[in-house]
Amino acid sequence: MKIVLVTGATRGLGLAVARQCISDGYKVVAVGRTMTEELTFLMQQYPDHIVFERYDFSDTAGIHSLAVQITKKYGRPWGLVNNAAIGRDGVLATLHERDIAELIKINIEAPVLLTKYILRSMLMNRGGRIINVSSIIASTGFNGLSVYGATKAALAGFTKSLAREVGKAGITVNTLAPGYMETEMTSALQGDKLESIKRRSPLGHLATVEDAAYAVSYLLSEKSFSVTGTTITVDAGSSC
Amino acid sequence: MSEKLIMKEKIINIIIEIASESGWDILTNLNDDTVLLESGLDSLGFATLVARLEEELLYDPFSMMDEPVYPRTLGEFVKIYEQYAS
Ligand SMILES: NC(=O)c1ccc[n+]([C@@H]2O[C@H](COP(=O)([O-])OP(=O)(O)OC[C@H]3O[C@@H](n4cnc5c(N)ncnc54)[C@H](OP(=O)(O)O)[C@@H]3O)[C@@H](O)[C@H]2O)c1
Repeated sequence: MKIVLVTGATRGLGLAVARQCISDGYKVVAVGRTMTEELTFLMQQYPDHIVFERYDFSDTAGIHSLAVQITKKYGRPWGLVNNAAIGRDGVLATLHERDIAELIKINIEAPVLLTKYILRSMLMNRGGRIINVSSIIASTGFNGLSVYGATKAALAGFTKSLAREVGKAGITVNTLAPGYMETEMTSALQGDKLESIKRRSPLGHLATVEDAAYAVSYLLSEKSFSVTGTTITVDAGSSC
Repeated sequence: MSEKLIMKEKIINIIIEIASESGWDILTNLNDDTVLLESGLDSLGFATLVARLEEELLYDPFSMMDEPVYPRTLGEFVKIYEQYAS
């Protein structure tokens, strides 16, 4: 069974990706800080297809040993989905320096380090899939999300150069850019703002975490072997 | 055989393995003065070498060092692995 590592798989998009991966026949290593009811349920349903590794990505110094341990316990991963992130919002002028540093650490430094070490397994296997979860905000912008947007644009930039570095080893690296999806991250965005996002979408609805997980499913599959260094946007057309 | 020779041989053997798997031509007389990136191994091959050694030796000296060091020659590379061998 091919191993796929999904960060932030305890809820939201990560959980939907984990579910999709199970139905695609992978074994999922779900990483996150806090166990949720949904993840517990998924693990009970598919005990042979999903395991949980508790980790707080604010501890960047431990990411190397996390990667070594995961590989030792479950084997060399085929896929890595860098999904865990924080979505702290606030206008730059008043966003605390500590919050800026945390956004950069969790949303950029941690996935870069995890990729560095998980990539080693893929180099040895001469194949693999890396998917960096960005956001349409990286290219469209959004009031109050300048730092978050910068971290998401950073991941998209990371994808492009890394794709060039590892392509010869049969490893693809791509970006997923979801639009607004209803998860805990976006729970503060309600009412008029939400309605206007819906209204402006060409399809007249919002993309769901399941919609975004289908795109991840494609990018993880063998069928996507000619697709690298690109961004797949799943936003019901909002940013077109 | 001394520890030193063992490490060097191990590394050279892995280099040869990686090169043959990838269909690369590498120098036949790899020695201490061989410049790594002129040995026939490209930067990706070099990354694969570090990955393979970590799996085999169970340590990665490059992530253990406080200051980054980028070895140029095979001799320097082997020395780093010897230094961090426990
Ligand atoms: N929701 C949207 O509308 C939207 C739109 C575009 C892009 N995105 C992107 O989609 C991805 C998933 O977002 P989401 O909406 O599913 O967010 P979410 O519901 O807030 O979930 C975030 C996930 O990341 C994990 N995480 C956060 N901080 C962590 C830390 N320090 N260490 C380990 N894990 C951590 C959380 O797990 P624990 O709390 O258990 O640690 C959780 O599983 C993110 O990259 C986000 O930027 C979301």
